[in-house]
Amino acid sequence: MTEPILIVGGGPAGLSAAQALSAVGRNSILVEKEDRLGGAPIISGYAKLVPSDEWAKDAIGGMVSRVAESDLVDVRSGARVTEFTGAPGAFTATLSNGESCQVSAAILATGFTHFDSINKPEWGFGTYPDVVTTVQVEQMISSGKGVYCPSDGRAPERVAILLCVGSRDRQIGREWCSKICCTVSANIAMEIREQLPECSVYIYYMDIRTFGLNEIKYYWRSQEEYRVKYIKSRVAEVTSDGNRLLIKGEDTLVKRPIAIPFDMVVHAIGMDPNVENDSIAKVFGVDLQAEGNIAHQSNYGGTGVTSRPGVFVAGAAIGPETIDDSIAQGQAVAMSAMALSPLAAAAAE
Amino acid sequence: MPIHEKSLIRPEDLTEHEALEIDGVDVSGHWSTFIETRVVSDYNERMEEEIAALPGGEYIHRCWQCSACTNVCTVNDLNPDFNPRYWIYLARMGFEKELLRDKDLLWQCVSCHKCTHACPREVVPEGVMKAMATWAELKGHTAVSPSASFDAEFTEQIVATGKIEEGRIIRGFFKRTGQPLRQAWLMEMSLRLAKHLPILMGIKMALAALFRPRTRNWGKSQAAIEEYLVERDAANKRALNLD
Repeated sequence: MTEPILIVGGGPAGLSAAQALSAVGRNSILVEKEDRLGGAPIISGYAKLVPSDEWAKDAIGGMVSRVAESDLVDVRSGARVTEFTGAPGAFTATLSNGESCQVSAAILATGFTHFDSINKPEWGFGTYPDVVTTVQVEQMISSGKGVYCPSDGRAPERVAILLCVGSRDRQIGREWCSKICCTVSANIAMEIREQLPECSVYIYYMDIRTFGLNEIKYYWRSQEEYRVKYIKSRVAEVTSDGNRLLIKGEDTLVKRPIAIPFDMVVHAIGMDPNVENDSIAKVFGVDLQAEGNIAHQSNYGGTGVTSRPGVFVAGAAIGPETIDDSIAQGQAVAMSAMALSPLAAAAAE
Repeated sequence: MPIHEKSLIRPEDLTEHEALEIDGVDVSGHWSTFIETRVVSDYNERMEEEIAALPGGEYIHRCWQCSACTNVCTVNDLNPDFNPRYWIYLARMGFEKELLRDKDLLWQCVSCHKCTHACPREVVPEGVMKAMATWAELKGHTAVSPSASFDAEFTEQIVATGKIEEGRIIRGFFKRTGQPLRQAWLMEMSLRLAKHLPILMGIKMALAALFRPRTRNWGKSQAAIEEYLVERDAANKRALNLD
């Protein structure tokens, strides 16, 4: 039984699974809906990654070229899986381009969708051009243009970053912590301070969750070395006085109201479940969690085990996840999928 | 340590000494201003539970102090001392004395519910404000507020007849709050109203005032509401350990 293993999604988790399978001489078919591989870090144009400080186009780009160069990985980009039938060891996947393939198992590395800030209208995104998202700032940095106000291209003198936009908010049905935004925001704040030393950067937070070692490299360093200012407050609204943006809120630690002008406001947007999860779940016959991510069993018996035998899941498809952990999960799930084949073959005999 | 932000400290907690020497060091005058150490020894550890047990206060425990409520607050905009976020903190920690400094502000919430729609954890701060005001009133810290008197008059009429009659409410409200019935603005309003009122409506209003009609088959509803009010009142008192 050496049918290839199907991998759905060419982001960090999917690339890592393909890399791992090809390293041990197993064939895989990598299906990606976009016309190129790389997932969110490449498609959305991230700049320097956390915590490696390597540029996304080098780090994830390297994964892409290793996978593209491998004879054992059959990349089908610009395609989706529309039908998935059969049993562990002998599945048939039908693709949107009409092709079909025989595979022994499937790995769902279908990732997430960035939160759309338009769903928090009080914070000005979509109303004021200088209210942007963390993804847009990443793009400004990665494009080499540097950080600028979209309205007139000037370098901002004062930037506010609002945390938990689309996270930890019952009002919009998103109760989860998106895990990465605190660290990413601290990183962006330091990037801005480095590029524009005259620019003041403020971060408005409810809690700071730069978990693990990120506490030192991002939270503390941004405060101590880069003089990024942290204000505990969930602001009321972002408006404009005609020239500059105006943030209204309270500095809760000193119980004082604040209305502060800014040149630029950045939404630290969270990670939503992939908007296509409903159809993905239907095609592959897997259950979703209450929040809309792909459900999986506990990790103790095996990694990434979904409700359908032979179908596995890795990375941000499970819930908000870091790039490093998505990569680790991709590799772990490659092991789960590989281990399945001999078992399934034995069971079939 | 030098004091940078004197404005944040209550004046009564600041002291200067004209002539004071500590361990041979002269610490007299303005440059050696002292802050009174704040010792909190009288927490009311049941305070959060008490407020949570009153209608509206149920979700006070969810608050994580982000200040979304204070930031959107209509009243806070006019008076920065009106700070629901801060009061929720005090109530949860049991700083009863500190909260009571603001007892005459608590009831000024206008129930616009902007906080209800901003709170990321659905604390329902508007309800908490209502519960806090009720708490202060039941504990005897504040007099019955004018709006509470109005509500009481309104409620009593509804319970009695299933209807309200505006003239009676005004009279009852004035009586409760010790105001004279002959007030210039009221006379003027009544006069103008009488002048322009359609005759038929005038007759209807007069009949309603004289005969106090009840909603048909009101008895059952009345009994149910009365039962609820008694239960609620008892539950409130139980929650606050009052008689």
